[in-house]
Amino acid sequence: AAAVAMETDDAGNRLRFQLELEFVQCLANPNYLNFLAQRGYFKDKAFVNYLKYLLYWKEPEYAKYLKYPQCLHMLELLQYEHFRKELVNAQCAKFIDEQQILHWQHYSRKRMRLQQALAEQQQQNNASGK
Amino acid sequence: AAASSGEKEKERPGGGLGAAGGNSTRERLLSALEDLEVLSRELIEMLAISRNQKLLQSGEENQVLELLIHRDGEFQELMKLALNQGKIHHEMQVLEKEVEKRDSDIQQLQKQLKEAEQILATAVYQAKEKLKSIEKARKGAISSEEIIKYAHRISASNAVCAPLTWVPGDPRRPYPTDLEMRSGLLGQMNNPSTNGVNGHLPGDALAAGRLPDVLAPQYPWQSNDMAMNMLPPNHSHDFLLEPPGHNKENEDDVEVMSTDSSSSSSDSD
Repeated sequence: AAAVAMETDDAGNRLRFQLELEFVQCLANPNYLNFLAQRGYFKDKAFVNYLKYLLYWKEPEYAKYLKYPQCLHMLELLQYEHFRKELVNAQCAKFIDEQQILHWQHYSRKRMRLQQALAEQQQQNNASGK
Repeated sequence: AAASSGEKEKERPGGGLGAAGGNSTRERLLSALEDLEVLSRELIEMLAISRNQKLLQSGEENQVLELLIHRDGEFQELMKLALNQGKIHHEMQVLEKEVEKRDSDIQQLQKQLKEAEQILATAVYQAKEKLKSIEKARKGAISSEEIIKYAHRISASNAVCAPLTWVPGDPRRPYPTDLEMRSGLLGQMNNPSTNGVNGHLPGDALAAGRLPDVLAPQYPWQSNDMAMNMLPPNHSHDFLLEPPGHNKENEDDVEVMSTDSSSSSSDSD
């Protein structure tokens, strides 16, 4: 019986792990945060406690399972009441979304610019060489 | 005159003794010298008179002479004492100079020690900071292999860096999209048609203690208009058609999404 209990416990932990993994990553989605705010979840003390509890995802042994690391930043911001309050505002969520996408594109854009500059320089070098 | 000088001499030692504690050796020497001078002058005068008159008792002469000799002895003693005192004084001066030198040495040393203390204090502070960072690094120690693996995973799925082909209207985002969210375990669990899973809600074990509530937001979302605005235009159609359950068509759609941005969290190894 103990073995069975352990097995179900194990399965429960597994499920809980996956659910929390999914949920914590959902927090990277500003639209979802806006939705949660509008539903008043951020006013719920238990929910705020839960957000605090989710900080364990910052530990390396957990963080390595995250596919969207941005969620950790959002999680950090969500610890502040001011941020939670602002999220009710759809405009605010939209702004965050835009910034997030710009940040998302920043690296590849920068790399593209660098490559372009490099290519131009090489062309110039070649031209002056001949 | 001789008698008066004898009385004087008798007084003197007493006075000398009484004043010995207070008088300096120099004063005592000077007074002894003065006595000697007086005595010798007296003696010479006496001798001169006796030569002229030739009728003097030799007793008085002898008395003065003895006094003179006695006084001379005292004077010699005093001289010795003075010499000794001079030596001692010299020694004292030397020692004082030495003390001064040592004093300045000590001050110099103190200054240096203060400087050393300051340097050490900063060194200790920096070392402590370093230790702190070492401790922090040790706490978060991860093998480089793992980091590379992780970096590969998040970059391959375009989770942290936009794909080069991304254009406005592309459904891909740096966060789980609506579809991804609902295709996950969380989305399915809150779906009424898959109620079976609900018995295993992990809420009881949570610090907050109310995970079911917490996770519930997914459920009302399915009927929320906002979700439509969230979806990129080319997907809103699928979304509207989607039944509450999980039909085949929908699954295919999700599959396409997943391969595009490498399926969600659950496939982490």
